[in-house]
Amino acid sequence: MRKTKPMRTATVLMLSISVAASVMADMARAATETNADKGFRWRDGAEVYSKVCSYCHQGQVGPRLFGRELPPEYIRAIVRNGSRAMPPFRPSEIDDESLAKLAEYIQRN
Amino acid sequence: MSNKYIALPKGISEKTFDSAIADFRSVLGDAAVFTSAQQLAPYIKTMMPVPDLDHAPSAALMATTVEEIQKIVGICNRYKVPIWTISTGKNLGYGSAAPVERGQVVLDLKRMNRILEVDKDLAYALVEPGVTYKQLYDYIAEHKLGLWLSMPAPSAIAGPVGNTLDRGVGYTPYGEHFLFACGMEVVLANGEVLRTGMGSMPNSNTWQVFKWGYGPYLDGIFTQSNYGIVTKFGFWLMPAPPAFKPFVIQYENEEDIVEIVEIIRPLRISGVIPNAVVIAHALYEAPVKARRSDYVTGPGSIPDAAVRKLAKDHHLGIWNVYAALYGTQEQIDLNWKIVTQAFGKSGKAKILTEREVGDDPAFKYRAALMRGDMTLQEFSLYNWRGGGGSMWFAPVSQARGSETLKQMALTKEILAKYGLDYSGEFIVGMRDMHHIVDVLYDKTDPGQVKAAYQCFDELLTIFSAQGYGIYRVNTAFMDKVAETYGPVQRQVHKTLKKALDPNGILAPGKSGIR
Ligand SMILES: Cc1cc2nc3c(=O)[nH]c(=O)nc-3n(C[C@H](O)[C@H](O)[C@H](O)COP(=O)(O)OP(=O)(O)OC[C@H]3O[C@@H](n4cnc5c(N)ncnc54)[C@H](O)[C@@H]3O)c2cc1C
Repeated sequence: MRKTKPMRTATVLMLSISVAASVMADMARAATETNADKGFRWRDGAEVYSKVCSYCHQGQVGPRLFGRELPPEYIRAIVRNGSRAMPPFRPSEIDDESLAKLAEYIQRN
Repeated sequence: MSNKYIALPKGISEKTFDSAIADFRSVLGDAAVFTSAQQLAPYIKTMMPVPDLDHAPSAALMATTVEEIQKIVGICNRYKVPIWTISTGKNLGYGSAAPVERGQVVLDLKRMNRILEVDKDLAYALVEPGVTYKQLYDYIAEHKLGLWLSMPAPSAIAGPVGNTLDRGVGYTPYGEHFLFACGMEVVLANGEVLRTGMGSMPNSNTWQVFKWGYGPYLDGIFTQSNYGIVTKFGFWLMPAPPAFKPFVIQYENEEDIVEIVEIIRPLRISGVIPNAVVIAHALYEAPVKARRSDYVTGPGSIPDAAVRKLAKDHHLGIWNVYAALYGTQEQIDLNWKIVTQAFGKSGKAKILTEREVGDDPAFKYRAALMRGDMTLQEFSLYNWRGGGGSMWFAPVSQARGSETLKQMALTKEILAKYGLDYSGEFIVGMRDMHHIVDVLYDKTDPGQVKAAYQCFDELLTIFSAQGYGIYRVNTAFMDKVAETYGPVQRQVHKTLKKALDPNGILAPGKSGIR
């Protein structure tokens, strides 16, 4: 099969969503989803750096971060608050644990 | 004023809000409910010329399932607490992740980030709101699906759901994103879950392939609106073409926009040039290569002579037309002939391809956008003025040369009055052009903040007086723009709001709708 389906939606889709039953059916659907694949998670600091930071900080847009031994607390503060034109990043985007790994990764490189 | 919260929803006491927060916590758990200033910091920063505290949220909620969202709207109805929904939350220059009104609770769906389905044969995707373009791009590459994305310039960090719901644009042949949307799942204010179009029918397998369903088409009312919370979103992807030829055509004078648009329009309408073309002014491209301070110092907008010098120094046209051909090599060769003949006639155009300018940083990032590759190079715009202030001024123009010239001249004149530069481009359309101007200013300079606010206000006033409507605007000016579309449309929007969300809990004020 060439189709890719990370989640099993078949049972879900078979639920009736007639008007009267819709709320209940949706509750059931939601319950199924809770147990399904949890979605995206960061692997490590290097992945966050390459998939977010590097586009600006490895190019000519923002300042270079490597080789400056930037303190992790400083990196964490800038990521969460933003700085001038740099947008802040929320824990929903980069969770605290991944941010700690990112800060450590940047400091190390 | 509350001590416990950095802001409260309009008309809600601290005590009532305590109860609402307690209920939110019981649904989501403590870790997914933010109320402290430190936790809320990333929801507060905007690029608009108003105090960030005017748009500070009272709390932020991170939901991950439809069921949680249904319970959240139940709580909001009980306490009349308004929520502002974001998906990837990178609406930069339009209000960022902050709510339209101070005190609204942000419902952050970034963690709801599953790619539910990508169908290679039918070339569509079904995703949750928190999926970023980068996540989907990697997924497609990993599974070798041979499909291309179309995305806005913030590519990697933004996402298809939020972008399309705000009717954003990209640069491939699928660049007018909402045209390629197909099927949504929406949590309504009463907690019911609607699947639009074919999705309403049990057992249907055509939700992502046929848009219209039966009866009135509903998807449109969930874009740029506050009638529901979109929890799943289907859209079409472009099969990777066998060949791709990006090019840039440079012109040396501002008046040449007339010739450019007159040549492009028939090529776009007939499909010879299939993608969302960009006609970028030198000042839009300059920040990728040049520093403003090398060409002008002191207050005031940059003089024309300096722009001409800058363009020359950095091999830019005053206008730079970025477009591409897609298809088999034979198709491209044939269409290339048509394009070069059309642009070659007057002798004014300089036609350049990857062979000549493949290494040019401006060309490189534009070419990446036209094939749906990740790049954030366009953020260079913010190095032009510095200080992180930006608002997109986005009037719609006919794709007619005389009209684009008129809009450009008018915009430039008003910007100059306030000492601001014309960083503008025309994009997308077959019959229309989104005229997009980044009103750049230094947000750390109170004088520039004031000037930017007044300038933007005047741009809206003058343009609407001439019958030029704005397609999308930042949260500080939503009411003003809603007003320009007249009382009847506003009343219809309000009537729908009353019917679908009688307690006004969903993003009151979005697009001026309450
Ligand atoms: C340098 C630069 C270049 C840019 N270029 C472009 C461009 O080329 N094209 C373009 O379109 N934009 C552009 N933008 C603007 C903006 O950054 C993008 O449009 C971005 O995609 C929007 O953010 P998002 O995708 O994270 O959406 P979000 O911020 O998540 O959502 C946008 C809005 O949609 C509504 N919304 C979001 N999710 C839901 C939901 N689940 N249910 C109901 N309503 C919802 C909310 O009102 C929200 O404010 C640019 C910005 C910058 C800084």
